[in-house]
Amino acid sequence: MSSPTNLHLYILAAPLVAAFVLNLLGRLSRRWVMPLTLGPLVFSTAGSLMLLARVLKEGGFSYTVGNWTPPYGIELLVDPLSAMMLVLISGIALTATFSALPWVEREHPGSEHLFFTLYLILIAGLMGLVLTADAFNLYVLLEITSITTYGLIAMGKGRAPLASFNYIIMGSIGACFYLLGIGYLYILTGSLNMADMAAIIKTLPQGPALATAFAFAIVGLWVKMAFFPLHGWLPNAYSLAPTAAGLLFAPLMTKVTIYLMIRVILNVFTPEYVFYSHPLVQSGVVWAAAIAIVCASSLALGQRDLRRMLTYILIAEVGYMVGGFWLANSQGMTGAILHIFNDAVMTLCLFLAAAAIASRTGSLSFDNLKGLYRTMPVTMAAFTVGAFSIIGVPPTCGFFSKWYLLQGAVQAGQWGFLAALLFSSLVNAIMFFRIIELAYFTDDGEAHHGGHHHGDDHHAPVAEAPLPMLAPLVVTAAALLVIGLGTGPIVSAIRLTLPKFL
Amino acid sequence: MIDWLHPSFLFLLGAVLVALLPARIRMAAAVLVPLAAFFVIVNLPLGNGLQYQLFGFDLTLLRVDKLSKAFGYVFTINAFAAGIFALHLKTRVEPVAALTYIGASIGAVFAGDLISLYLFWEVMAIASTFLILARGTERSYQSAFRYVMIHLLGGLMLLAGILLQIKATGSVAFDPFAIRDLPTYLILIGFLVNAAAPPLSAWLSDAYPEATVTGGVVLTAYTTKTAVYTLIRGFAGWEILMVVGCVMALYGIIYAILENDMRRILAYSIINQVGFMVTGVGIGTAMALNGAVAHAFCHIIYKALLWMSAGAVLQLTGKSKCTDLGGLYKTMPLTLIFGCIGALAISSFPGFSGYTSKPMIIEAGVHGGFYWVWLVLELASAGVFLHAGIKFPYFVFFAKDSGMRPGEAPPHMLVAMAFLSFICIFLGVYPQPLYAILPFEVNFHPYTFEHTLNQLQLLMFSALAFFMFLPMLKRTETISIDSDWFYRKGGQLFFTAADKLFNSINAQAEKLVAVELTAQVSRFFKQPGFLIQRQGVRLLAAVSGNRQQAEQMEAWLDARNRSGAYPIGIWVLLAVSILGIMSLLYLLIR
Amino acid sequence: MSKKSKPAAASVPTTPREFNWLDDPKNIRLVRNVFYAVLVLLVLPDFFMHKHTLFYSVEAWPGFYAVFGFISCVGIILVSKLLGYALKRSENYYD
Repeated sequence: MSSPTNLHLYILAAPLVAAFVLNLLGRLSRRWVMPLTLGPLVFSTAGSLMLLARVLKEGGFSYTVGNWTPPYGIELLVDPLSAMMLVLISGIALTATFSALPWVEREHPGSEHLFFTLYLILIAGLMGLVLTADAFNLYVLLEITSITTYGLIAMGKGRAPLASFNYIIMGSIGACFYLLGIGYLYILTGSLNMADMAAIIKTLPQGPALATAFAFAIVGLWVKMAFFPLHGWLPNAYSLAPTAAGLLFAPLMTKVTIYLMIRVILNVFTPEYVFYSHPLVQSGVVWAAAIAIVCASSLALGQRDLRRMLTYILIAEVGYMVGGFWLANSQGMTGAILHIFNDAVMTLCLFLAAAAIASRTGSLSFDNLKGLYRTMPVTMAAFTVGAFSIIGVPPTCGFFSKWYLLQGAVQAGQWGFLAALLFSSLVNAIMFFRIIELAYFTDDGEAHHGGHHHGDDHHAPVAEAPLPMLAPLVVTAAALLVIGLGTGPIVSAIRLTLPKFL
Repeated sequence: MIDWLHPSFLFLLGAVLVALLPARIRMAAAVLVPLAAFFVIVNLPLGNGLQYQLFGFDLTLLRVDKLSKAFGYVFTINAFAAGIFALHLKTRVEPVAALTYIGASIGAVFAGDLISLYLFWEVMAIASTFLILARGTERSYQSAFRYVMIHLLGGLMLLAGILLQIKATGSVAFDPFAIRDLPTYLILIGFLVNAAAPPLSAWLSDAYPEATVTGGVVLTAYTTKTAVYTLIRGFAGWEILMVVGCVMALYGIIYAILENDMRRILAYSIINQVGFMVTGVGIGTAMALNGAVAHAFCHIIYKALLWMSAGAVLQLTGKSKCTDLGGLYKTMPLTLIFGCIGALAISSFPGFSGYTSKPMIIEAGVHGGFYWVWLVLELASAGVFLHAGIKFPYFVFFAKDSGMRPGEAPPHMLVAMAFLSFICIFLGVYPQPLYAILPFEVNFHPYTFEHTLNQLQLLMFSALAFFMFLPMLKRTETISIDSDWFYRKGGQLFFTAADKLFNSINAQAEKLVAVELTAQVSRFFKQPGFLIQRQGVRLLAAVSGNRQQAEQMEAWLDARNRSGAYPIGIWVLLAVSILGIMSLLYLLIR
Repeated sequence: MSKKSKPAAASVPTTPREFNWLDDPKNIRLVRNVFYAVLVLLVLPDFFMHKHTLFYSVEAWPGFYAVFGFISCVGIILVSKLLGYALKRSENYYD
């Protein structure tokens, strides 16, 4: 099946080309920064929506780059799932950029063009990742996204370069593992095209080479998605990164990596091999995910800084998705994929709220959150919606994906995973209600506490967050409700991608 | 079109409106919404409506029959009265939270399947928490925290039960549960948490008195009565509920007598009264269920009336403890009268609504041959008069002179109380409209001479006992510990024991100053690796006896932890180990 | 320490009218006598009526419910008092 236009390429190319143009023009004048970042992202978002509409109506298609036929050429696969991921990436990138622009101006004056060059290449890389149907191309794009990420994190203050360095080491190990896995597969199958490899793998005996290939590939991806206990690099990397970079990483990076795991399992190694031939390992991984969820949630409980708490919640959410997918039944997989979308939006909402708060209070430690309801009502309202979504309160979208995961767990008889999900909801509720309580009802900024200074910066926030940060936040919070109510169509689109035998 | 308008949506829409309107019009909207909803409910045709698809199931948002309509009526009437009572409110949080809460309760009552029920259930829990938080005191925050935790826990049990039930039966129907196994018991527990059945009832007496004046009036009606509705719908005739109900009835009375805070007395009184309803559900006959519904109806009205009068006192005096109050009859006669009407109604005094509704349950127990149910409930009836009918008005309005001379309650509060008092008396004298909306045909005649005489004897001699033993009932400035002791104090003690156990040799000077379980857990998880390693080192020292080396190691661990300088190699090692494990697993294990 | 969300006591514009009726010991005695009279009046009809029994014949005795009410309440009061020794703590127990 082919496509009438090259829209998907343009969507991918827009941020990429803009990155280079921005780097050149940005040196001349700062006025180029905003149009050259927002412009291509608007284009990409619109384009991916049109692409999605077309794919849902006419069906998916594949595209060979440069007309070099596979298995030598690189193939791109545009099916409902990748089209939806494309919409997700461009939409989130666009929304985050509105808030990122003022932050970069604040934190890296004079280097905006450098920052956004990396930023846009990262987005282009992510888009490429969801479209590619070639295993090695995947590695290349993975490295592209990783390297830009390392650079972006290193631009942060304080211990950020160290965090980036640790991330480089772990990230490279993860990517190398993946590469080695693909290398083994190449030796076994002689091809790098995913569909091709899948067909050949079906005919292979299940020997040590295949097992090693799979282990390398999967563990590599697990390191990159911060699946507990391989998560060590994430909290520091994401919380020390520049705020604008964190807005992009947190919602997208781990989710796209989970998407990659799903692609690799569905389209390369096939569920028969991964799940059904090794049911003990499959349930073992679900148990591991359950432990991941419990530990990450508990670790989040011990944090005293909002952004760090959110990164640990992120790690717990990875556990949800990995466990949900490895439940290997229709409900679980649907829940996991639905959760990719929902979690991306929820994470964006919370990180945007954190950024908005930080823009006025200067610090995100819990002491600085007192009485924010009065001074930043809209921000806190949006934060509350995001919190409800993470806890899983209907009608926000978080409830619906959690429901599918729970049903999948019941269907598979995985009680440990079920208990972990419920435990995590409770722990999330505790954490967020603590914050809501602090922000909504503690009287703050008693100016007549004469001589009672808290050392460094106890700024009483004086006003609501600036509009460029507030607008995307409100839109995202509203989206949580809209997506929640519109779960039906999203789920039907997801179901199109899952294997038919489920 | 008006046929299938969901009254719950009116409330939710109203909540949004209230959030946006300026202060003057805000409360007017809060009063008009329940009125409109009442008329919508009156016009709802019987049957199922508003069906939608979710998760692959056919769900029903609007299941209308006599049972749900009865609850719908009383919920909206109460909301109307509460709205009038709260006309003076200036804040936004309270009316929005209250309307959302009431709307979700109505939604739960009309839900035709388990999933819709669960959705509304969760919204109820969250919205009601804000009514407690709105008081703004330190105690109310902590109380609200415990409240929402217990309700989320109950909600999770409910969720687990629903999921298992769906798996077992394949359907989401919310009808009487025939099979008694794990899923239905889990659902039962979920419902009983909201019904405030001991030992899961401490949240009610903990949180309701900490709510605001107007918040308390709203809170008393919905959570517990929605739970009663769900019990009637799903668990009619489950004998265990008779036991639970009788325990609740007695439990509420005893704690109410011990209490000092007037709103806490009323809170325990709720448990007592809901106990009657739960017993009725347990008996399960048509008359018992009629009685439960009728009692729920009347209870909402007179309980709101009692909370309104207590609330008015709190509003005007700033005090709510019996030891601080007294002699208020001198300046608040109307509030006193309305309060007394409520008190007489709750005691089932002939002439008031409690007399035409609650005895139905007792009579159903008699017809069923449940001797001990009859005994306990009659006992409890006497006790109700004791703690709510007499104690409450006596200590608040009479007894000693507290010296306070607050004025009469503001007019809108009086109007609200008058409205509810009117209903209490009206239904006490002419119960036919109430009987007409009950789910089954009513064969009950409250006003036989003998019956009335017996009841009056029962009540008046209880009064005699009260006044004779008045010295023993002296109010003290105390609280009584309830089942929440386990998660309030118990957690502390548990960790102290565990700590001493693990550090027995080294005699820690570290004092665990934890107040809540979560604080302890979070402390541990702030630096779990370090704490575990340190513990390990100490154990090692205890075993080997090499104190000095252990201290050096500890200092080194501490320094390393402070600077966060864990070598990245540890993570790499972890990654490679997991790699090895996975490849072996995929190779060897089938 | 605690902050109420509504203003406390003092917005009393004018001195409210006071009903000091019960301050007068004569009136208290009056109320008490009426009360005793009512109690007697309630028990009296029992001696002239045929009462229906539900479970036990003792219920047909005159004044059964009066005694039942009285004893139940005394029982409840005593039990609460006893339990109170075990359950009561100072107000600041949890703080």
